[in-house]
Amino acid sequence: MGIVAKEEYFDEPACEHNGVAKEKKACKTATPGSATGGCALDGAYIVLSPIKDALNIVHAPINCLGNSYNQRTSKALKGKEYYMYGFTTAINENDLIFGSEYKLKHGITYAFNRFKPKGIFVYNTCVPALTGEDIESASKELTVKLKIPVVPVFSQGFSGNKNLGNKIAGEALFTHIIGKKAPSIDMLEDFNINLIGEYNIKGELFLIKKALKSIGINVLSTITGDSTVEEIMYSYKAELNVVICSKALVYLARKMKEKFGIPYIEESFFGMSSTNKAIIDIVSAIGNKSLKNKAENYIELMTRKTEYEIYEYKKFLTGKKILLYTGGVKSWSLISALNDIGIRVIATGIKKSTEEDKIRIKEFDKNGNIILLDNGNPVNLIKIAKENDADLIMAGGRNQYTAIKSLIPFLDVNQERLEPYTSYEGMECLARRIYYEIKTPLFKLLRSAYILPRALKSTAF
Amino acid sequence: MTNLIKNIEINPLRTSSSLGAAVFFLGLNNAVVLMHGAVGCASFDKVTLTKHFRENIPIVTTALNESGAILGGNEFMTAGVKNVYEKMKPDFIGIASSGLTETNGEDIESIIKDFKAEQEDSFANLIYASTPDYKGGFEEGYITAMLSLLNEAVKTAQGKPLKRSNKNTKTINIFCPPSFTPQDFLELREALDYFGLKQVMIPDLGLSLDGHLDERGYLQTTSGGLNVQDLREIKSAELNLIIGSSLKTAIKDIEELTGLKTHYFHNICGLKNSDKLFNFLSEITGKEIPEKYKRDRRRLMDAYLDSHFYLTGKDIAIALEIDLLDSFSAIYSEIGVNLQTGISTKFDDDVARRFSNFYDGDLDLLCKSGNGNIGLIVSNSNAKFYAESLGIPLLKAGFPIIDEIGHNYKQYILYEGALNLAVQTANLLNKE
Repeated sequence: MGIVAKEEYFDEPACEHNGVAKEKKACKTATPGSATGGCALDGAYIVLSPIKDALNIVHAPINCLGNSYNQRTSKALKGKEYYMYGFTTAINENDLIFGSEYKLKHGITYAFNRFKPKGIFVYNTCVPALTGEDIESASKELTVKLKIPVVPVFSQGFSGNKNLGNKIAGEALFTHIIGKKAPSIDMLEDFNINLIGEYNIKGELFLIKKALKSIGINVLSTITGDSTVEEIMYSYKAELNVVICSKALVYLARKMKEKFGIPYIEESFFGMSSTNKAIIDIVSAIGNKSLKNKAENYIELMTRKTEYEIYEYKKFLTGKKILLYTGGVKSWSLISALNDIGIRVIATGIKKSTEEDKIRIKEFDKNGNIILLDNGNPVNLIKIAKENDADLIMAGGRNQYTAIKSLIPFLDVNQERLEPYTSYEGMECLARRIYYEIKTPLFKLLRSAYILPRALKSTAF
Repeated sequence: MTNLIKNIEINPLRTSSSLGAAVFFLGLNNAVVLMHGAVGCASFDKVTLTKHFRENIPIVTTALNESGAILGGNEFMTAGVKNVYEKMKPDFIGIASSGLTETNGEDIESIIKDFKAEQEDSFANLIYASTPDYKGGFEEGYITAMLSLLNEAVKTAQGKPLKRSNKNTKTINIFCPPSFTPQDFLELREALDYFGLKQVMIPDLGLSLDGHLDERGYLQTTSGGLNVQDLREIKSAELNLIIGSSLKTAIKDIEELTGLKTHYFHNICGLKNSDKLFNFLSEITGKEIPEKYKRDRRRLMDAYLDSHFYLTGKDIAIALEIDLLDSFSAIYSEIGVNLQTGISTKFDDDVARRFSNFYDGDLDLLCKSGNGNIGLIVSNSNAKFYAESLGIPLLKAGFPIIDEIGHNYKQYILYEGALNLAVQTANLLNKE
């Protein structure tokens, strides 16, 4: 594969809006002079780095990894110490002149001998892609020599954005990992599913697994939160793929359907209603009657319990207004969670949403007055929030300072979130967080402090 | 050396030159940083800087795509500059290149020159730093940006008469290293104020990233820093004061560009180095050292005495960029800490001599520091892996610090800075 992104990534037959997606191909180019999200490397790294017995080696000059590693908040049970480590070949000028393949191979071998991982992902980046380094043959050679999968990931940043990087990572898993090993009998239970696109941020996967386990569903493989290389190899034995909040990895689910015949559904576990719906959809897809009964009882129990826990929060939050600005699937899945606690979403970001996401937004928008924000410009966000009297802005970390510097309460719902927000327990966390963020006297104090007392005025600069 | 043998960096200490240039630009008032590269180049840096400073970081990208990467990014850059100017009306646009744009060999300098010639005079100052990521590191990028700005300042000052507003006030140019925290910048500014000196700080990260809630609310550009008007003052200042080991290589260039007498301090941390600075300031102004600093000095002496029981004879490992390694080891040496292992991103004879073992490389070299006696690691957030596996405390300093807040309020320079470090270290070592 060359340095040009595969045409296939932009063609999604599983999506009923495929034509639209194709036209949207142009969107992968961001406007020069704006702040944008990450590149393909970022996206691929997000997907693959939570695998806790694999190494991630970025073949690049120092900036691609050195400026920003060790920042993901994916949690792992009994994780090896090295899985969050940052590895890079740190290409220098000499490597550019004389080639860096030798260095790459040696570096990988050194890291393998030192840590004995079960797999190694080698990320290609802009500079070696441009100079035409052949990381594919290097990886092939080392796979044989080291007897573990050494997987080339063609994630050079100029190919596209984070979303594309997610797909590239999915492709890498599909080609080099999935189906390479069969699970032993004792790993399989009556009902086995995979979760795709769940990275266990702040332990969210643990909460989802807990709910599923309670009704007798076994999560065979998670792609990729708290997972192992072997676990992902087994994934082809599952009877259902559940894609969580990730349009990009539908690509992987579709490929698994084509090759292994595993059906897939797309679900969200944000909020109580979504969690209930996800569980029902999963058991319906599995199609077992006693499982269905068990699920219904469990849902009833947990709904009652959660409603009791969030009662005080909900009472306070009912009628409060939130501006939501986040990517893709979360643009609608969070609306459902917020509706559960009585909050009105006044606007939601659709910049990274597909046509399908937009249809889902409309489904939740009972009164038809949610503003669809196509422009994530911070100035625009504040303007809309102020015009509509928003009580809080919910967005990713990059907008944290946009909001708080304008003295608007803020909650991070992207990877920097401080607590897990999935499943029933996550609903409680979310409700509590929003409750305290809106209720704090701080913003009121600071707003009034903006008008300086006379005595202070002369010294302020 | 070790990295050459293993051919891989494991948990790098190094960051890139483009990041160094970006940090320099963030010390200019009403500025925006434009990263010339793929979207990731800007995004990764923005994320880390935002987490480190807990501030909005105005970094944007030229968003080079496949065709730009292969056929040249000329149009991406000019479109980027235009869009930034129209949307944000900054005084400065700091442009940093990347490994990507430098590999395909674009002549960015002349592209900018041609572009600038087409614009009106009032257009933003375009400061360009050539920062190929495969060459040099953070400090080199910072210096490249610094010298570019000076070049621009020299051009600005040409043909314009010196306007000394007040003959009684001496203006001096201060060049601080990237290792200074925003608080350090502010403290140095205050010290100079005490001596009645007017200062032009190049750059001034104190006024931009000290963590203040600006009256204007959310801003798209930097909310403070070196002002565009100050550019004119640089050439007419009294003298240059350069601080920092990493700036050693820039002394000659700064002297030549400004044509001013230049004084250099490799660091201003610890008792002796602070003494040197205050004596110098007293000498050039003819003023007595202010009472405040005399008292700070006595406080430091006392704090050294209080903390030395916990510090003397203790083995520690420090992995920091060269300026901080120099500063911290100077302070620790005064108290009698055993400097077991020093790791930095470049070799420096004077600094290396203070350590039993000195390496130029990655944080993974901390593994080598375990002869079992190391009681403390001093490094950035990424060293937590090693502190945890050795079961010893980590004193967080340097860049990046992403898992705790308040780094911008910390002071490590002058008497008070040494006091802070001695006390912090003593408390960590005393914790069982």
